[in-house]
Amino acid sequence: MIQAEELVGGEWAEWYRLTPVQRWLESEKLWQTYLALGGSLDPEPDTQSPFFDARTPRPCPAHGWAGVRVLRRGRV
Amino acid sequence: MGGQACVFYGAAEFSRDTDFAILAEASNLARLRKALAGLRAKPIAVPPFEIKYLRQGHAIHFRCQHPEALRMRVDVMSKMRGVDSFAKLWERRTTLQIPGGEKCDLLSLPDLIQAKKTQRDKDWPMIRRLVEASFFENRRKPSPAQIRFWLAEFRTPQLLIEIARKNPVVAKKLVAKRPLLRLASAGEAGKLEKELAAEELTERENDRRYWLPLKKTLDKLRHGG
Repeated sequence: MIQAEELVGGEWAEWYRLTPVQRWLESEKLWQTYLALGGSLDPEPDTQSPFFDARTPRPCPAHGWAGVRVLRRGRV
Repeated sequence: MGGQACVFYGAAEFSRDTDFAILAEASNLARLRKALAGLRAKPIAVPPFEIKYLRQGHAIHFRCQHPEALRMRVDVMSKMRGVDSFAKLWERRTTLQIPGGEKCDLLSLPDLIQAKKTQRDKDWPMIRRLVEASFFENRRKPSPAQIRFWLAEFRTPQLLIEIARKNPVVAKKLVAKRPLLRLASAGEAGKLEKELAAEELTERENDRRYWLPLKKTLDKLRHGG
């Protein structure tokens, strides 16, 4: 019998073990963090979607920057 | 029916829009207009918010201007390729209560998976995760319906082999609908992986074809061509 850890690794196995409601709540926490960090609710352009139109101008955040940006990047 | 439903059922999508499957009837659209007004949501792009476009299978896109949902995208659809009528989706829905007592209705897992069989790369790993999560949650005491669902939808060769070998009679019955189950029953992991990839390509191509006339309509609406 294949175990979830063998197939998808520990992190995913742990996610699978949560109940649906626990997953929902965990995702909400992630949302709070994302918004607290200044993340925007504007979705990324989905170039593979049939609704995508490359010619449509996309809105920019009012301050002109992406919602979340890298301030310091460690070396590889 | 989108990212939030995927999270609930076991995949993990950080989706910033909210997708709704709705009943395209005048009285229901009136209720939707009222709810969208509460969010100060304005239609964006094409098509316009009209019942005929929903019935044709288009999505209508909105952007919210309410401070508590600023810039959030809301997409509504009523008809999706390969997915049953709204009445059937509603009958099979999952209802959950979120903290605060509000209730949310989600597409059932099999319906969500059907809706995710699109031409987009990102939907396919999602389908795999959703079926795996269902399997690991229910494998100890699966119902006959769950076994049939896994045999019909698994995208993970190892699990497909395991479940086909444990349920040879059911697997044999489903071969006509999903020929690659023959390879799963025989334990042919390498060939099975190739066939799963081919199955995905076929679905993606079917989705592209399905959208061709709809995209023509969208182009006409955008550019008046």
